[in-house]
Amino acid sequence: MAVQEPRSVRKVPTYCFNCVAGPDLMTVKVVDGVATEVEPNFAAADVHPAQGRACVKAYGLVQKTYNPNRVLTPMRRSNPRKGRHEDPGFVPISWDEALDMVAAKLREIRARGLLDEAGLPRVAASFGHGGTPARYMGTFPAFLSAWGRIDYSFGSGQGVKCVHSEHLYGELWHRAFTVAADTPHSRYVISIGANTDVTAGPVSVKRHADARIRGYKRVQVEPHLSVTGACSAEWVPIRPKTDPAFMFGLIHVLVCEHPLVDLDVPFLRDRSSSPYLVGPDGLYLRDPATRKPLLWDERSGRAVPFDTAGAVPALTGRYTVAGAISVDADDEVHQLGTVAGTTAFTKLVEHMRRYTPEWAEGICDVPAATIRRIANEYLAAASIGATIEIDGRTLPLRPVAVTLGKSVNNGWGAYECVWSRTLLAVLVGALEVPGGTVGTMVRINRPHDDRLRSVHVGEDGFLAQNFNPTDRAHWAAQPTGRNVHKVLVPIVGDSPWSQALGPTQLAWMFQNERPADFNMPAPTLPELWFIFRSNPAIAFWDTHHLVDTIAKFPFTVAFAYTVDETNYMADLLLPEASDLESTQLIRIGGTGCIEQFWKSRGLALRQPVVPPQGEARDFTWISTELARRAGLLDRYVAALNRGTGGVAPLKGEGYDYSLDPAQAPGVDQIWDAVCRASSAELTQGRAVHDLDWFREHGFCTVPMSQLEWYLTPVMEAHGLRYELPYQERLLRVGRELRNRLHEHHMNWWDKQLAEYQALPEWHDAAGHWEQAVIKAGAKLEDFPLWLLASKSMQYHSSGNTSIALMREVALNVRGHAGVLINATTARRYGIADGERVEIRSHIGATYGKAVLTQGVRPDTLVILGQFDHWATPFAKDLGLPSLNTIAPMSLDLVDATGSGADIVRVAVRRMAEAAA
Amino acid sequence: MTRYVMAIDLRRCVGCQTCTAACKGANATPPGVQWRRVLDIETGEFPDVQRTFVPVACMHCADPPCEDVCPTTATKIRADGVVTIDYDLCIGCANCVMACPYDARSIVHEQEFAYGDEPMPPEALGADHSRLSVATKCNFCQDRLDVAAATGQVPGRDPEVTPACVNSCISGAMSFGNIEDPHSNVSQLLQQTKNYRMHEELGTEPGVYYIWDEA
Repeated sequence: MAVQEPRSVRKVPTYCFNCVAGPDLMTVKVVDGVATEVEPNFAAADVHPAQGRACVKAYGLVQKTYNPNRVLTPMRRSNPRKGRHEDPGFVPISWDEALDMVAAKLREIRARGLLDEAGLPRVAASFGHGGTPARYMGTFPAFLSAWGRIDYSFGSGQGVKCVHSEHLYGELWHRAFTVAADTPHSRYVISIGANTDVTAGPVSVKRHADARIRGYKRVQVEPHLSVTGACSAEWVPIRPKTDPAFMFGLIHVLVCEHPLVDLDVPFLRDRSSSPYLVGPDGLYLRDPATRKPLLWDERSGRAVPFDTAGAVPALTGRYTVAGAISVDADDEVHQLGTVAGTTAFTKLVEHMRRYTPEWAEGICDVPAATIRRIANEYLAAASIGATIEIDGRTLPLRPVAVTLGKSVNNGWGAYECVWSRTLLAVLVGALEVPGGTVGTMVRINRPHDDRLRSVHVGEDGFLAQNFNPTDRAHWAAQPTGRNVHKVLVPIVGDSPWSQALGPTQLAWMFQNERPADFNMPAPTLPELWFIFRSNPAIAFWDTHHLVDTIAKFPFTVAFAYTVDETNYMADLLLPEASDLESTQLIRIGGTGCIEQFWKSRGLALRQPVVPPQGEARDFTWISTELARRAGLLDRYVAALNRGTGGVAPLKGEGYDYSLDPAQAPGVDQIWDAVCRASSAELTQGRAVHDLDWFREHGFCTVPMSQLEWYLTPVMEAHGLRYELPYQERLLRVGRELRNRLHEHHMNWWDKQLAEYQALPEWHDAAGHWEQAVIKAGAKLEDFPLWLLASKSMQYHSSGNTSIALMREVALNVRGHAGVLINATTARRYGIADGERVEIRSHIGATYGKAVLTQGVRPDTLVILGQFDHWATPFAKDLGLPSLNTIAPMSLDLVDATGSGADIVRVAVRRMAEAAA
Repeated sequence: MTRYVMAIDLRRCVGCQTCTAACKGANATPPGVQWRRVLDIETGEFPDVQRTFVPVACMHCADPPCEDVCPTTATKIRADGVVTIDYDLCIGCANCVMACPYDARSIVHEQEFAYGDEPMPPEALGADHSRLSVATKCNFCQDRLDVAAATGQVPGRDPEVTPACVNSCISGAMSFGNIEDPHSNVSQLLQQTKNYRMHEELGTEPGVYYIWDEA
């Protein structure tokens, strides 16, 4: 039978925001009521920086909709025992029964109070990849807001799988939760493990492809030849986790092998802390009256406060200063008398002198000549002094950038890397200017949708940053969440995102094991745990033990697409209408992760392309029903009226679409009000669009100046300096935190406290993982290889593992069939291509096929994605290995920001040998 | 005169397989059948290694070996250069599969679905029994080209009449158009760049050009 002529064909506009590289706009073709194919939205070609195109993941959404393995009715667990080897015995129930069960539990909890005896929220929630689930959960944020305190600290990957240190230090230094190259203007990019052409979405792929045609050079520095490396001009196969040595070598060349005049002297003098004078105690010399840091004024020949009008700061040198003070931890003031004050820049030069390329070569296995050449190419390409006109304003043009990838900018060594990267930009004036290294968005600071407006003047001429207090009066001595973020990590702050950015592995670890001198209330189990678009039983580390912890949770409510390894322990499965079945309006445009740089701002609608399958219900309907049944309706509607969830308040200047708190609003009623209010806010009332308008058109935008891509003009306007190179604030905060912890007889964070350094010292970051093996009683020589994880565009962060189409097309990309092994190494172990192998660490083993390649270091194995499923339909039959199964969780492997990295020492052998 | 060709800029391609997936959606090909895909080719030895992404599909040759060996004349060349297969004439002998130097043709004998024996609704809608036991391959989305012939739209410029893979390409690597028109986008692009066609030495006159540098 040939295909019948369709009776109706329509194309429905919507968006894909499955990974942080979105949102991308697209349409879905619907033939006779059936979604058949995803296509670009060419109506958006002029405004969307990827010209209305979505990446390969979006093309899996048709199968995602009709996947026969979906959970399509609410299900209740019938087996009270939980565990990997306990069949949950899920039985279908009605929505009424399911919602009443949740609501009864919520009411019962609320009656006893939101916090338990340990002061921790009784309700916890975990959402997956980088906040993207919020773009699929309708009005659930309003429900969560209506509830009150919730513990978001059980991570599903955040902190350990993301570019975590970049997030925290990036926001501190240049309001850069994520950092990118200003690719459209760049000429030279040093990409250290940044797998941009895989993880950064269609916008980034297009920008970098354009740049290649234009002739830019990208140098890819990483242990294996990734897709991004393949598309780069040069691959530098560095030894795993030695990136700081490589970067220190680059800095050495710039500051120790070139005269100062080769660098961007005005930028260093006026926009950085380079001229600030550092005293013998390692703290800034300060004016005793104002406590302001001093610099040496070449014009008057004396030390003056940094903001003295008309001063000409000395960038280099050592000067005698009388009568200055320094301010140490806990506001301890040192009267210094007459001392030598050294400029921060000179301190830097002296600090970097030992880190020669020759020194780095021995550590990172990159020839000194290569390091020196790359540093000099970078400096030459920086074109110091060049300018460019952007929207009528002349700005510096510094077409060089350094980008960092996962496991480079998280975990031990990451502080050194992000400091080095930002400093490399500062040295040539390439921070936050056209062509240079730029931030994309803020999450710790606000407002989230406009990082330039998040700039506020702080102490000492630097950006304000809301650290968690470490002074004796205000330090949080008791956890407010199970990952202890407020106690341990000052820099993460206490914004709504901070908890999920804290040391999320501690939330899991401390459920089972705590240091002897923990000296805080033992963390409790959450009484109710919501989970959505997140599968920590696969996506975290030491997953066997993690599953055991999840199994202890007394009441887990999972919004479920299919059964998976985490919701296998759930008490209730609630099937939400998925990507192509439900309604949500989001903001688009501006600047965003990872290279989403638009020249407009706007709004886009996700809408039901087809009706929900089975009994799946719109998340907004679920949220409203939960609020109503839990007795939270008025608070929920009030949250909707405030615009909770990232869209506009329903009442603003010149418009009022507020909802009645006494009535449970319908799904369309809510989104119609949101559409009208958000478009009114966007256009200052010029163009108010209702839900029907968005259903037809999909999106609307207003123009935005490209000047909003760059922070430096705003810093100039506020008279602010970037807080580099010297980290006096971090040094002081670290000392203060040490004082607090030691006052409470807590010494178990001392290793992390050592990271608070004003100028980062080299330390053997990889050694932490080697020591973990030895500490566990194993022999390092039994685990001679490094295992790393790398991402996959086809699978990246979107729960695509059960989508057959993704499996089929991913197999065209090397590495998706198993574990990448250097062919010479494989020969040494007698391993043939395609042969099944055991990859074993000191905590366990994972199994898969060997994929032989020349494109990986001989001492390194690489696994793409996160697999080793045992419950998720389709995925559990793939037989793929996973680093997560055999990567340990340990306090020793947590850095001061609370992050870890995807790296572990392993042995590999043929399965036949393993069985013998 | 019209001859539709494709130009693929290898400097742009990142091997993401978006075109592979888009083609499968647009043409409802069964699991395992890929009318187009992107090869991931590694050359050299560590540490001097190159990895290259090369999209491949039917090359729509001007002198296609598949046509020469077809015993039933099922394989033909249209006036616009598109190499087609008449499923009513094809007997599934696989001569063409063997003859094609580009590994571009597939034959399946049973209807297969992504998840077991039962089709999902889009699979049921797209299931085309006339494609069983016959050769299939990329046809440059010929239905769209036929629309263009009727509407006057320009393939390669107007998305509605441009092959799905070209529309989907996120790096902008793929271009499509009439090489006989010196003003078409592909003609202009090929003039401005260094390019080659795969296995040109075989004399098949492929209609897919690979761009590798500026002219």
